[in-house]
Amino acid sequence: MLIEIKKKSQTYQFEANAGEKLLYAGLRAGIPLPFECATGTCGSCKARVTQGEVDEGWSEAPGKERFKVVKREILMCQCSAQSDCSLTVPTKIVAFRDDDINPDHHIGVITQYEKLTEDVLRFNVEIPTSISFHAGQFFVLQAPEVNGFRAYSMVNYSPGTNELEFIIKQNPHGGLSKWIFDSDRTQEKLELFGPLGHATFHPDESHDLFMIAGGSGIAGLMSILEYGRQVNYFKNRKVSLFFGIRTPADFFFAERLRAVKAKFPDTVSINIAFSNAPPTAEQLSGNDGLIYLQGMVHEHALPAVLEGGGNVMHYLAGPAPMVDALIRPLILNSKIPVHRVRYDKFS
Amino acid sequence: MSWKAACPVSDVKQDTLKECTIDGIEILLANVGDGFRAYPPVCPHMEQYLEGSGICANNVMTCDRHLWQWDMKTGEPLGPAEKPLLIYQTKEVNGQIMVFLDEELEYDFDDDDD
Ligand SMILES: Cc1cc2nc3c(=O)[nH]c(=O)nc-3n(C[C@H](O)[C@H](O)[C@H](O)COP(=O)(O)OP(=O)(O)OC[C@H]3O[C@@H](n4cnc5c(N)ncnc54)[C@H](O)[C@@H]3O)c2cc1C
Ligand code: FES
Ligand code: FES
Repeated sequence: MLIEIKKKSQTYQFEANAGEKLLYAGLRAGIPLPFECATGTCGSCKARVTQGEVDEGWSEAPGKERFKVVKREILMCQCSAQSDCSLTVPTKIVAFRDDDINPDHHIGVITQYEKLTEDVLRFNVEIPTSISFHAGQFFVLQAPEVNGFRAYSMVNYSPGTNELEFIIKQNPHGGLSKWIFDSDRTQEKLELFGPLGHATFHPDESHDLFMIAGGSGIAGLMSILEYGRQVNYFKNRKVSLFFGIRTPADFFFAERLRAVKAKFPDTVSINIAFSNAPPTAEQLSGNDGLIYLQGMVHEHALPAVLEGGGNVMHYLAGPAPMVDALIRPLILNSKIPVHRVRYDKFS
Repeated sequence: MSWKAACPVSDVKQDTLKECTIDGIEILLANVGDGFRAYPPVCPHMEQYLEGSGICANNVMTCDRHLWQWDMKTGEPLGPAEKPLLIYQTKEVNGQIMVFLDEELEYDFDDDDD
């Protein structure tokens, strides 16, 4: 089916397969359609149908709040075409970076499956074609018996790879998290689409990095750390990471974080904040090079943010309430220029 | 085409935003200290409703979605914002904010050639 989006300066056209989400079809064709979550929650991929028939998909998608039925407003990430369609998109269509990688559909197999803590699981997915992605990007995944795609940030970084590493936090009422936690899913097949997302790290930008993660928000930041480690970025550039979790028992990736600190002891600062318990005596001894704190991660991280931002890029990732709670003071009190903040809300 | 009462002056505190609907037209009201401003309800970037996404401080509004910012008095864009906020005329009469509604102001999203 042919989809057409008319702008004054240009008409964009792309083919969408039956059942394929319009957003995915457009992005796959190299058209930089607007999106953020790619999974129905944020509302960024809003469009209006001016001609043609569509299947709206997930009818309760939170991103559709306040949508106007009379204007035939849809979420492109949920909607598929039932005939040729014309759409209007209420924002500019602009590429984020010249080296953005066109996302595509893949079928992957779960090859590794490991519980990191009581409620965090690490799993690897192998895909048949080798791909590249920017550190900080994510894929959307769909499991066999679960409706709809969910977004997960890659933990690993490797240009040209068949292997994608993810972590998932358990959400007892959640569809995908229930499916994957229920039993060992090694060898299960998943549908994937990606890579996606703009909260990315690019060494050529030459910034110091200030990163704040809540819980599974650490995923994409691990990919950034890994890329930085591979290219010796932290030889000359500083990175401060604040990682918020509940208790010492919830701490994962300790080995990997210690390894980055050990390789670049003078430039890397890694701070672990426990919200619900004090650090252990061993942690407080400082022997492993990491700094352990008690309290909410944003309460520790905000005072450490450099006034005015300097040449620093700020990365925020984690549950939407944490990210929202950080953006406000970052911009209003610390006067960080807004183009120095990149974030992913795990909504 | 006329002046319409929006809401009592006391309903719109400084550094807050309040949405109301007059004759089916949604508008967003703000208190800029020495007066009021009325804008269309959505962000000119991607149509997010600013009552939820707008952060106001010192007469600067920031949309927390992609951090576009404006001078709330003039609507002029600041920082990364590429478009101004449109503004309806307002005045105060007997403790009410009045808005001059001629036609609904809407952003033109069709100009991605600049
Ligand atoms: C950019 C981004 C990156 C993320 N990265 C991570 C990560 O690395 N690790 C992690 O643990 N979490 C991550 N998340 C959150 C993750 O995507 C899920 O929201 C979370 O795992 C809960 O999923 P669930 O299936 O358990 O919960 P559910 O409540 O069942 O579903 C959560 C989400 O699934 C989608 N969904 C639900 N029902 C439907 C339906 N009927 N049709 C279509 N879609 C539906 C919606 O997007 C919904 O918000 C990320 C989110 C975003 C936006
Ligand atoms: S991108 Fe479609 S709702 Fe977020
Ligand atoms: S929607 Fe307001 S800045 Fe993007």
